[in-house]
Amino acid sequence: MSSGHSPPADFRVAISYTDVAVVLDISGELDWRSSPELGAVFDTMFDRGHDSVVLDLSGLAFMDGHGLRVINNAARRLRSLGEPLTLRSPSIEVQRILGINGLAASVRLDLDNTEQSQLGPEQSSVDRNATVRSSPTTSIKQTDPMLIMPVERQLLDDALGLVVKLAKMAVRAADGVSVSLLRDGQIKTVAASDQTILKMDEGQYATHEGPCLDASIEGRWFHVNSLEKETRWPAFIPMAQALGIHAILSNPLLSKTRPVGALNIYSRSVAAFGPAEQELAAAFAAETSVVLSNAGLGASADVRSQRLHDALRSREIIAQAQGIMMERASVGEDAAFDHLRRFSQQSARPLRERAEDVVASTRWPEPDLEQIEAAPHD
Amino acid sequence: MTERSGAVLDRARIELGLSQGDLWFHYFALGGMSSAIDVEAFLADILEPTAHDHDLIAHALNELFTELGQNHPVPYLADTSATESRPQPDEE
Repeated sequence: MSSGHSPPADFRVAISYTDVAVVLDISGELDWRSSPELGAVFDTMFDRGHDSVVLDLSGLAFMDGHGLRVINNAARRLRSLGEPLTLRSPSIEVQRILGINGLAASVRLDLDNTEQSQLGPEQSSVDRNATVRSSPTTSIKQTDPMLIMPVERQLLDDALGLVVKLAKMAVRAADGVSVSLLRDGQIKTVAASDQTILKMDEGQYATHEGPCLDASIEGRWFHVNSLEKETRWPAFIPMAQALGIHAILSNPLLSKTRPVGALNIYSRSVAAFGPAEQELAAAFAAETSVVLSNAGLGASADVRSQRLHDALRSREIIAQAQGIMMERASVGEDAAFDHLRRFSQQSARPLRERAEDVVASTRWPEPDLEQIEAAPHD
Repeated sequence: MTERSGAVLDRARIELGLSQGDLWFHYFALGGMSSAIDVEAFLADILEPTAHDHDLIAHALNELFTELGQNHPVPYLADTSATESRPQPDEE
């Protein structure tokens, strides 16, 4: 029988070197059996003085908590040397795990190959070489490490501003581009190439109709070849025509699978958007959706920010209550927490509320005082 | 050690339908100082939490159980060690 700690046969680490970094290309399943092997490889790299490491995850089929831990330890060690660990081509699933566990902030993500699989079905028929030759899609890939982790609203807006700029450059006959996004319960324009385009979007919000709104809500794309012949959105069309717009392409933006906005491309020319432009617009929308999914907009940035604020406030109040109790009963931090916890349990009220009581009152909460004083001190 | 404490906590987490990230967030809000990775390792019994960390996680779970009308079903180490009523192993 083989050792229980042998890595599975399908786990492999291939080591290669570039001018600036060691590249560890792992494939197969990174789990409790294989993670020690990866840990040993990291140790060897560190022992040899390598402080720039790229971990290529493109061949990774599965990773569990053991694997995550080895990667986290390596990231910590590299960070202490001043150079973040680079994770190349993690799957969306792995990116999600990294995000949940707070690791995404301490590594550098290189997503060069990953987002290809995220493009919408419209992309599949396009000549990829032709798309790459048009260069802006290549540029957007280079900005991915910045785009993929914008947790702050301003950072996200900057990223979407860049999307607008690149889409306008890339899509021939595009006279203006905007990104509209569901924010604070409303569809708003968060990036627009110019004031006319902003007015185009605002005209749709004002009339409660238009391709941008429909794409944002319905999660499918809308193409207006010629506004003169368009019969949908009768209130909005005259406003658009007054601004000199004749063709519109609105692609939905999705966070995970939920529509959260639209990438809108406008032209002053009739029939401006042929199949190639439609494919390219879809590609930009798909890439932008990856950004939005990773920014966690599905839960809305506001909700995330409020949740974090509440958690920090809760910690602060509990720490204050512990401090008061430690001072008054001359007990350690853990004993003070234990008292608060018992008090919470007995009263069936959240610990935070009990802590608020302690902070608000100058009195020591009575029910457990004897217990805590009888308990051994830390 | 009897039944592994991480397994008990993780089973409660699963019963609540809570992700590991969400559990860590509740633990963090109660003042927990360990990283999400460490908490994940506690749940998988890879790392042994301190009694304080264990009870913080247990309390995070119990507050959520309380909202569902259940009275603190996850045992605290501080209580079980005092009463010597640690959870028993399923079968060794």
